[in-house]
Amino acid sequence: MNPLHSSSAFLRSLTRTLATLPAYQAGTALADAPPAFTEVGVRYSHYSEDDIDASSVIFGATSRYDIDITQLWIEAPVGASWSVALDVQNDYQTGASPWFVGTDQSGEPGVIMSGASIQDNRVEVGVATRYFWADGNAGLNVSHSDEDDYEALSVGFDASWNSASNTRTWTTSVSSSHDKVNPSQGVIPVFVTNEELDTQSGYFGVSQILSRSAIVRVGLNYTYSDGYLSDPYKLNDQRPQSHERIALSAGYRHFLIDANASVQFDYRYYADSWGVDSHTVELGWAQHYERSTLTPFFRYYSQREADFYQVIADLSESHFADDYRLSSYGAVTLGARWAINLGDWTIELEGERYWSDADWGLYDGDSAPALVDFWRGTVAIIWRFD
Amino acid sequence: MGGPATLVITPPIGRSATGVSLASKVQSHLETLERRYSRYLTDSLVSTINRRAGSGDFTHLDPESETLLEIADQLWRSSGGLFDITSGVLRKAWRFDTANTPVDLSQLEALKKKVGWDKVKRTGEGVYLPVKGMEIDLGGLAKEYAADCAVRLLRDHGVTSALIELAGDVATIGSQPSGRPWRVGIRAPQGGDPVGGIALSNAAAATSGNYARTLQFEGRTYGHLLNPLTGWPVEGPTSVTVIGENCLSAGAVTTIACLQSPKAAMAWLSEAGLPWLMIAQDAGYSGPLASKLGLSPP
Repeated sequence: MNPLHSSSAFLRSLTRTLATLPAYQAGTALADAPPAFTEVGVRYSHYSEDDIDASSVIFGATSRYDIDITQLWIEAPVGASWSVALDVQNDYQTGASPWFVGTDQSGEPGVIMSGASIQDNRVEVGVATRYFWADGNAGLNVSHSDEDDYEALSVGFDASWNSASNTRTWTTSVSSSHDKVNPSQGVIPVFVTNEELDTQSGYFGVSQILSRSAIVRVGLNYTYSDGYLSDPYKLNDQRPQSHERIALSAGYRHFLIDANASVQFDYRYYADSWGVDSHTVELGWAQHYERSTLTPFFRYYSQREADFYQVIADLSESHFADDYRLSSYGAVTLGARWAINLGDWTIELEGERYWSDADWGLYDGDSAPALVDFWRGTVAIIWRFD
Repeated sequence: MGGPATLVITPPIGRSATGVSLASKVQSHLETLERRYSRYLTDSLVSTINRRAGSGDFTHLDPESETLLEIADQLWRSSGGLFDITSGVLRKAWRFDTANTPVDLSQLEALKKKVGWDKVKRTGEGVYLPVKGMEIDLGGLAKEYAADCAVRLLRDHGVTSALIELAGDVATIGSQPSGRPWRVGIRAPQGGDPVGGIALSNAAAATSGNYARTLQFEGRTYGHLLNPLTGWPVEGPTSVTVIGENCLSAGAVTTIACLQSPKAAMAWLSEAGLPWLMIAQDAGYSGPLASKLGLSPP
């Protein structure tokens, strides 16, 4: 047993109070400084959509997407003020998705699925560098992703700086992406070749330490996309050639000293030029143990449909789409994260279950027959060394 | 912070940060803490709080200051009121300066009315000392906190071997470059050679004692630690050394020990459960470190 670990009530209570000060928190820097250690990590995630209800399907299989995501990253300090990072991610996707929504013999809307299962592999490679000074840090990142039918190149810059008292941090970022879309001809016919899309995004946010046990943050994001924005694998999908989006986010964390736990609250409001707006609320409880933190969480999402969304697309309109992701619906997620600290190694586990239903949303709208339920599991192993 | 400081840093290999640049960063941070918590600087937070005593004006606290006062509160409660950061005004009656100004006990009763952590008001507005002339002194806590901050700052810059000493309290990162733990001497109260050396690696050692500043009054020698409840110097241990994970925790244990009788201090130190050495006024040694250092028990 470590002779410096005392079980006395006095020292346990003092230690809990000290834990609210950055000087006594592992992983919290007093001054902005590059990471003290090199970090190597690998993460695997499996995403699996439930089969679509057979009664909603007019034609095609009921099984939907499965996605396996594997990510490998390394981040290392360079000199006294820099760090570099390399991130490689591979997504392997199989399954079928709704092709379009039609009506069955009784006139009810139903889904025609895409037929045979697709297999698609995407590889994304990103490099980043970051510079640290006493009151902040700034980073530059470049990433390239490539798959059979889609290629994207993006560049981003971000910076954050702290107030003199270290109680307030401002953060800003800008990014630009150029994408090329060249859909694959497969079981379903595709009528699009060689399209392009440009996206610019900016973010500004601030976090404020309110007290020794509470911190709040707010942020505003603006994104503008221009180019081909429709889904080439949907038969009836013709979206505007531009898309503006804003997202306002806020978060609050409160550390409960006696419980050795943190309450987490996050809210996000989203609105775009297509008429979609949404609310996301997430509540979490992070329970800290000697070597791990367990965080069960609950998330609620509600979305209003896009102006041009119809359950069965109206092809006489200039814009139309029957994609369930543009419909009105609500969704609930239950999940948990578990981070286990084993000295130089950290293991992170996460699982979540998602359900969606048109009647759960705050907005009225026609019920899309292809709303999805899914579960996702993630495991990550991280190694830090100097 | 009113005391000497020693900094030994082994610059991390493979980085361009030099020992000089890291020492400069540490010094800068210590100066920031001094500007905030020193009672000798007129525009410090502590001096501002003290200046507003009895005026009705609260002083708003940032999260760090709020936490340090919360720690002071915990120490006050855990020590039965013996650790009291408002007791510094009693120095006006017991002057432990080198001029050896005579003790002025006529002031004692009036000064005792200005002592009492339980009188201090802490609300969402901040902190307020309700009696004119009341003062708080965060010197002891702030010094140990500063040593721990220096450790954190150096670790953040990749330092894996360092020693920081602030007026007798020591914090270490890793071991010496040779791989051997840092060796820290425990001062003998009567002066001369240290009573022994302790090995520290990723640990801190704090020492409190009554021997550094004393005065003679009516044929007796009194140490500088004052009992806030009686206003008189404490007749406690000569010196207590504790090893802990950080300076502030170790220092809290030693300070509270030195405010009690030697017998009560031994019970307190045993309960705290950290390695300790107590030197009693008859020069007896006790505690697990005494055995380790081969020092004779009382």
